[in-house]
Amino acid sequence: MTLLMPEQPGAVVESGRMGRVAYARIGPNEDLVRGIEKLCLAEGFENAFVRGALGSLVDACLQANDGSEIHVAGPAVEIVSLAGEVRSSPAGEVEASLSGVVADPQGRIHGGPFVPGGNPICMTFEVTLEEWLPERG
Amino acid sequence: MHQNLPRQRARILRHPGRFNPVRIHSERDMQGRHLRLSLAPGLSLHEAMVAPLRAAGITSASTTILGGAFARLSYCVAPPDPSGKAVIAYSAPIDAGETYMIFGNATLGVAADGGPLVHCHAAIRCADGRFRGGHILPDRAIVGDRPISVLVTGFEGFSLRQSFDPETNIPLLQPFREIKNDPADA
Repeated sequence: MTLLMPEQPGAVVESGRMGRVAYARIGPNEDLVRGIEKLCLAEGFENAFVRGALGSLVDACLQANDGSEIHVAGPAVEIVSLAGEVRSSPAGEVEASLSGVVADPQGRIHGGPFVPGGNPICMTFEVTLEEWLPERG
Repeated sequence: MHQNLPRQRARILRHPGRFNPVRIHSERDMQGRHLRLSLAPGLSLHEAMVAPLRAAGITSASTTILGGAFARLSYCVAPPDPSGKAVIAYSAPIDAGETYMIFGNATLGVAADGGPLVHCHAAIRCADGRFRGGHILPDRAIVGDRPISVLVTGFEGFSLRQSFDPETNIPLLQPFREIKNDPADA
């Protein structure tokens, strides 16, 4: 359980600055979430924010409010909005958290957090990441 | 569409071309060049984005369209390609009428013919009130009465070029590290 302690603002506020910027094309059948994590490994980013993204998925898998999965059948399911970040643990493990809106083959939209391993890229995925450099306290 | 079934296995599709063992093609700059762009009323999304950014020296960029009204807008969805030349193909344009763009991302790059290319996906509210999303046609999206703000991250150490991708059998934007030609030198 995380306690929000006003006298310890570092627990909830992280100061830092933007560093490098990377653009990638991730190929078909790669997983969206894992692909962004691997992009950070490729570029040496420990922490990053998504600054722009568009592309298509074979099918989409989003988490519902009750924890179940929402499956949106393609192909293709277009990614029309994506926000998220990548964080590295002290042990060096890289984890992306991505949330967004997708459009199904009829153009209807669906949204939520993308489930890791459940979102294979259809044709291409274009993503821009900006490195986040937290101030080390 | 909501399912409580055990996790479905993600599908893998077979593309017409040879599998490329390199799955992530990336380039980087030591820092992004950030600009705030206002899309001018009455222009197409393509015109409103390309010319001002070219004037600022930017021909490759990732942008976030922060929402705004379009006098009219057409988009495509991407169903399976009946010809089999690729896994999917864009549908015929769908006219959404007077549209509010809720959120969009657009990539600016260089088309195969050397001209500017804008690739945009967005979530929209159509004239009839329905919520839709897809591939926006930048020539057929006309900015409404008010300017629309865009956050631009320009790239300077590499460029985005539309080049043929043998695996998927379609032209795609891909990053290339190269010395950019200054149009002023041409």
